[in-house]
Amino acid sequence: MLKIRIIPVLTFNGFALVKTKQFGNPRMVGNPIQAARVFNSRNVDELVFTDITATYSGRKINLPFVKEVIDECFMPVTIGGGIRSLEDINDLLKIGADKVLVKNLAISDRNFIAQGARMFGAQCISVAIDARKTGSGSWELYRKTPTGLDAVEFARMVEQEGAGEIVLTSVDRDGMMHGFDTDLVNSVLEAVNIPVVAVGGGGSPDHFLELFQKTNVKAAGASAIFYFTQFTSYDIKKKLGDHGFPARFMAAGN
Amino acid sequence: MSCVIINYGMGNLASVSKALRKIGVEHSISANPEEVMRAQSLVLPGVGSFQAAMHNLNASGLSDAIRQRMNSGDAKLIGICLGMQLLADTGFEPERCAGLGLIPGEVVELECSLPVPHMGWNNLDVRNPLYFQDLQDLDFYFVHSYHFKPAHEADVAALTNYDGPVVAAVQRGPVFGCQFHPEKSQLSGLKVLEHFFTKHA
Repeated sequence: MLKIRIIPVLTFNGFALVKTKQFGNPRMVGNPIQAARVFNSRNVDELVFTDITATYSGRKINLPFVKEVIDECFMPVTIGGGIRSLEDINDLLKIGADKVLVKNLAISDRNFIAQGARMFGAQCISVAIDARKTGSGSWELYRKTPTGLDAVEFARMVEQEGAGEIVLTSVDRDGMMHGFDTDLVNSVLEAVNIPVVAVGGGGSPDHFLELFQKTNVKAAGASAIFYFTQFTSYDIKKKLGDHGFPARFMAAGN
Repeated sequence: MSCVIINYGMGNLASVSKALRKIGVEHSISANPEEVMRAQSLVLPGVGSFQAAMHNLNASGLSDAIRQRMNSGDAKLIGICLGMQLLADTGFEPERCAGLGLIPGEVVELECSLPVPHMGWNNLDVRNPLYFQDLQDLDFYFVHSYHFKPAHEADVAALTNYDGPVVAAVQRGPVFGCQFHPEKSQLSGLKVLEHFFTKHA
């Protein structure tokens, strides 16, 4: 049986890992290579690593450095940040990324996702959708400048273009650690059939349990819980497993 | 023991090479048929379509080198993901196309009510324990849209379940293949690789 996935999301500013609150107030939380090593030793299901300032600073992601992060990982890794061309995707896949996470170019170039999926396969093209609540049952696709786009509609569109997965982050819940925006997750799940990773707000194993009970999502991402609490991905999965959700536990030799 | 990861322009060579380094298997990455002919163990990785892969292998002379090397009887081979599927007689991605023919069978599209590709961690029902000692019921990382249907049940080394049984590994003597990615399956995956390099079929 296919297992649910719990995925640490590492956000990087070009120097160190940072943790934001509602996409602001970045707080430094450590070294990416060490963090990747720790998450690998904890046997996490996957890892997402994204350089959140590359695009806005007009620079490319640092490939030799990212390769060092990937080299610590013996599980699937998704890399995002500063992707501006198909060549950038190819570069990331060549150093061992399993998927790439595209955000800004998915918004500004409507053909980019389709081209990437055709060239490299849909399974390795993930799209980051950051959504900010604008009212009851509506969310705006968020980036530094207003997009005016409906986040749920945008999810539907990137699926049609051939995206293999959506990493859906609630801007309002980011770093707040008081639970996921399950309404947002349900709205996007109703719109698409591709896998969705729900991110934003997971501060305790109970929050993850609530997410999996109230929605049909099969994957959740988080970061603050791993930096600021005693809980590991094992604790989260133990909670989920105890409530009948299929979770993956220790591997051979553990 | 000399090991060659076969480079035919498709597949995540970096991750496979990293996994072999982790378990201490010295290896080279090569596109040269002569090196394939000299190797004691071969690793055939692969991501992409069956037809494109066979085209590359045939055009470079690697198909013949792999077949000849495996027919000589003193080498072993592990195919990973698409590399496992290429061991079959025939593939259909996107059109009918001859494979390496090392394990009789066909590679056809997954037909099920669940989303395709089958992507994520899934557990195994082990049929041939040689390379899966102590790994029964553990999870491995899969991502595929086609699956291998061996002609002989005896060649099935492990099954997984995705809306019905799906072949997760095949083995016929020194030829082994896994549909999952051992290089991405944490300790369980590294264990399978370790067993492959240390145990004899």
